[in-house]
Parts: sequence; structure tokens; C-alpha cells
Amino acid sequence: MSDSLRPSAINSQQGPAALWGALPDSMQSVALRLAALAILCLLLSLASEAFFTTSNILNVLRQAALLFLLASGLTLVILTAGLDLSVGANVALSACLAATLIKGTGSIAIGVVAGLSSGLLIGIANGLLITWVRIPPFIATYGMLWILHGITYWFMKGETIHGFPPAFRAIGSGYWLGIPVPVYLMGVFLLIGLVFAQRTRWGQEIYAVGANPEAARLSGVPVKSRLVLVYAVSGAMAGLASLIFLARLNSAEGDIGESLTLPAIAAVLIGGTSLFGGVGSMLGTLIGALILTLVLNGMNLLAINANWQPVVTGVIVVLAVFFDNLTRKGDKR
Amino acid sequence: MKMKTWIYSAMAVVVSCGSASSFAQSGERVAVFTKNQTNPFFQAFRLGADSAAKQMNAQVIHYVPTKPDSIPEQMSQVEDVIVKKPNAIVFTPVDYKALVPAVSKMNAAKIPVVNATDRSESGNFVAFVGASDYKLGLETGNTLVRALNGKGNLVIIEGVKGTLTNSDRVRGFNDAIKQAPGIKILASQPGNYQRLQALQVMENLLQSHPQLDGVLAANDAMASGAIEALEGANRKALVIGINGTKEAVDAIKAGKLLATGDYNGFLQGCIAMMTAIRDLRKLPIQKEVIFPAMVIDKSNYQPFDTPVESRSCPKWEDAIKS
Repeated sequence: MSDSLRPSAINSQQGPAALWGALPDSMQSVALRLAALAILCLLLSLASEAFFTTSNILNVLRQAALLFLLASGLTLVILTAGLDLSVGANVALSACLAATLIKGTGSIAIGVVAGLSSGLLIGIANGLLITWVRIPPFIATYGMLWILHGITYWFMKGETIHGFPPAFRAIGSGYWLGIPVPVYLMGVFLLIGLVFAQRTRWGQEIYAVGANPEAARLSGVPVKSRLVLVYAVSGAMAGLASLIFLARLNSAEGDIGESLTLPAIAAVLIGGTSLFGGVGSMLGTLIGALILTLVLNGMNLLAINANWQPVVTGVIVVLAVFFDNLTRKGDKR
Repeated sequence: MKMKTWIYSAMAVVVSCGSASSFAQSGERVAVFTKNQTNPFFQAFRLGADSAAKQMNAQVIHYVPTKPDSIPEQMSQVEDVIVKKPNAIVFTPVDYKALVPAVSKMNAAKIPVVNATDRSESGNFVAFVGASDYKLGLETGNTLVRALNGKGNLVIIEGVKGTLTNSDRVRGFNDAIKQAPGIKILASQPGNYQRLQALQVMENLLQSHPQLDGVLAANDAMASGAIEALEGANRKALVIGINGTKEAVDAIKAGKLLATGDYNGFLQGCIAMMTAIRDLRKLPIQKEVIFPAMVIDKSNYQPFDTPVESRSCPKWEDAIKS
């Protein structure tokens, strides 16, 4: 029935509506999110004088950077219909490792290399568990989460490591030309992510693996190595995030990762990437991270009790997926 | 420092496994339950218990949930311990209500239990050893009020809503502020005891409040998050934390933190362990040991500047007097 109605429905659309219908799904999805973001900003500017100021915008961008970096790696994973539940635990272990080495050796370079490679190695381990040992992503990375937490707690013994050299701290709390350094990192990795996902063969193959792994395999995509790649990237981004965390907070302790994983997944989902794979974008994830950050920012500025923040986050995730289902024309996922 | 803890725990294992006859005069076995391996407070508590046990020639076996504050895990650890029948138990429930059935099991097995840190809702205990979170909130709050001369704008960064420690601490903060009509609370927002969240909440609050003179944080990690936010924004305010961690003492030394409320985990561990052993040896004990709220600031931080690992327990008589 809906098929017979469709032609007349399209014919009756005019002007902007027809233009909108001609946009590909992915663009529609990003455009809708941009609109939601704009409305949120507008409402917040009306509600609080402090909101639409340069310093608060930079503040929000800096806060969103850590979340975006974690979520960007996770976006690739979720595009393959996978999941990485270990990112938060990865951040905690990598941060503690980097912190110990910077304190112990006095060398920033050693700490940075250790944090990044620890993140990357954990990601590769996830990828190998999933592809070669054939453990489902949810379980492999969930198991990894426990292993990493255990190692971190044992390693730290309840201690806090704090106080790092200013040169290192600049990655997290420094400014360049009046803009916080993490914001540049967010911009750079957004660009890399956009180009990689949309313009490279590997990126397109990742979409293909997520949409239909069997079809991808038959058309010659090396499915296993692409899967290892996405988990490795997700791990490496967690390693990078751990360094920014350290530099920004000037300290590390064993339990810092526990509150990072779920918001990162929420940012990806709010951004329109489907848990079923094959659909989504980096730009969407950026908007997702911004919306989540704005919710906390807005509640703090308006002195609304921020205990409601998780509730609001949940509602936004559900609404975002609901609207995607409504607007997606083809395959309803 | 790490290495030393290692050797130390290795020693404890050797002592508990080997024939203790030549080493220990009495060698009672005491099981110690703490809530997690992540909070420095419990690390200090365990070291205090170890130190007391060493002084009194008893053996300690620690039980800590691998997942922090896990109720089911502590429940099953209690069940395991009852089978092993230690001479006594020092028990910090991960949840003051949910672990009541575990306490009943220990009571049914007739193992004497000392309740430490968080008061269990019910059950039979040899004694309770702990500090009052309300008083910690009140005393640290008073310290800030005095430092501000009773005037100014401040914000509260709360811990996890619904936990006993947080509600008591925040109630203490508020009662301290009520006595100073010149002080205004601009916001009271949760930072969930997390450093990162406290940093972000503070960054946001600095955006909307151009004049902000003081911060009351319900733990030291959040206080240090708030300090980072203030420094990042080039603003100045007096910051208070709670827990008396090494990190907080360093911040006091550096002039970044006004004060921290001391929960004194090490001493709580000492006294809880001493109470358990003294009870077994039929020595006099106190049914209730509540440590006074202690505020550490730049005038008295020195004794807290030594690493917990190298402290040792005071004598029973001295500790009980104070």
C-alpha cells in the first residue's frame, strides 16, 4: 500500500521538500542533527546570558574533545556492527602507565609513546580475539574491560599519581592562538576521520563489512584485517584520550575509566551511527559529542540539578534512533 | 614504595600459610573486609590493620571485591570466610543495608565482628570504629566560612547522590554555611566523586558565575578537579576537599588547597584491628570509637606528609585518649 502511495506523495512535494527528499539518507541524518544542535544552542542562549560567549563556546569544545576522540574510534567499530566496551578501561590503564613512566623516567616522550602504544596494543588484542578466536565483539571487549580494570587496580594499589611537567600538560590544558589545544586535536582527527571513512578504499570497505560481511567477503574485502584495523584504531584513540585526560587533570588513578565508555557509545548513537552496522558518519558523532557536552553545560549554567543529566542523555539517544527510523527510506535499521 | 607493599603482602601470606609457632606468640587469624582497591582511604585502612596486627602478632587476610563496591562479591567473600572460620572479622560493608544478611551469617557462625567505617544497619558487633561524615562536612565547611570571613559566594560539588557518605558530608557543608548569613551557595552540583566530572562542572560554573570565592568538594579527587578548572580559567577561589589523601596534602603544601577533612583511614584500620584482637584476648575495649573530624591545613599538614606505608600504629592507650 505504501508503495502505491509513494509516487503521488513525491509529486505533491514542492520546493524545499523535494530538495530534502533528494538528499541521501546520510546527509538528511546529519542535517537533522545539526538542526537539533542549533535549536539546543538557541534555547540555551535564550535561557542563560553566559552561554553564547566565546569563553563558554571554547569551554564546551574543550570538554567535547575528549569525548569525541574516544567516540571517533568507536564510530568505526560500530560501523562494522561491532562494539568496544573496553575503551574506558583502556584509557585508565594507558593513563596510569603513561603517568608512572613520566614520573619515573622524567621523560615526556617515553610516557607519550607508552600511553599510545598501550592503547593500540589493547585494541589489536581486541581485534584478534574477535577475528581469530571468534569471540563476539560484545563479549571479547567486555572481558577485556574486566581484565584491564583488574590489572590497573593491581598496578595502582589505590594510589593517585599527580603533578606532571608543564610541557606535557599543554596537550590537555594549553592554548594556541587563544584556542585550547584539545580543540585542535578534535579538529585534526575529525578531518582525518572524515577523509578516511568517506574518501579512502579502506573506509568504504569498513562500511561494506558492517552492511553485509558476507557480501563484502565475496567481493574481495579482507574482512578480518579490516575488523582488526577498527579495533586497533579504537584502542589507539583511547590511548590518545588517556594522554589528554592526564594532561588536563594532572593526575591519574585506577578508576578514571569507568565513567567514560557509556557516554562515548551514547555520542556515537546520538550521532546516527547504527548498532547494526553500515550506517553512520564521523560528523554525526561530532554532533553527538557536542550535544552530550551541551546538556551538562546547560544544566550547570542554569543551576538545574545535574542528576537529571543521565536521564536526558537516555531520552536523547532513544529519540535520535527513533527519528532515524522514521526518516530512513530504505532498509529500516 | 610499590615494591615494599609487595614484600609486605608476601610476608603476610608466608605468615598465614607457614607454621606460625616460632614467629607469633598468639597468631590469631583476622579477616579484614574493605570496599575496594581504588580508594586510597581503604588502602590506608588496610595498611593500618596490617601494622596493628604486626605489633600484636596476629595474622591478617584481606578480602576486597575485585569490582569496586560490589555487593554480590562481598556477600560471597563473607560466605567463603565463614567456612574458613577466622578468629575474628573486621568488616566494612560495601553497602550498609544490603550486607545485613552477611552480618547475620557471621553472627550465626559465632565469629566476633568489628564493624568499621560504615555503620551496618543492624547486626551484633563487638564494636564500631569509624568517623562521622557529617562532622567532616561540618568542620571543613566551618574552615572555609572562617577563611572567607563569613562572606562570599560558593559552590558545592557533591559525590554520588544517595550514598550515605555523600548525603552526610553535604548536610555538614550546608549546616556550616547556614550559620554564616553572608555566604551564598550559588550551585550544588554532583561530580559523582569523579575528577573529570568535577573539572567539567567547575569549568561550567565558572562560565556563569563571575564572582566565586569558595568551593566545597565532597572528596579530594573532585577538589583537585576543581583546582585544575580554576587554574585553567586563571581564577582564584578557596577549595576544600575531604579524605586527607597524599595528593591533597601536597596541594595544601603548594598553597592550592585550603584544607582537607581527614577520615584517617590508617588510624581507623589500626584501631579496628586492635579492637578485634583485644576482644579475643579479653582485654578492655571500647564499644564505640568515633574519630573526631580532623581538618588538615597548612598549619598542621606535616605529620600527614609521610607516606602511609611508613607510618605505624600508635599505642592503644594513646589512640583511644585522643
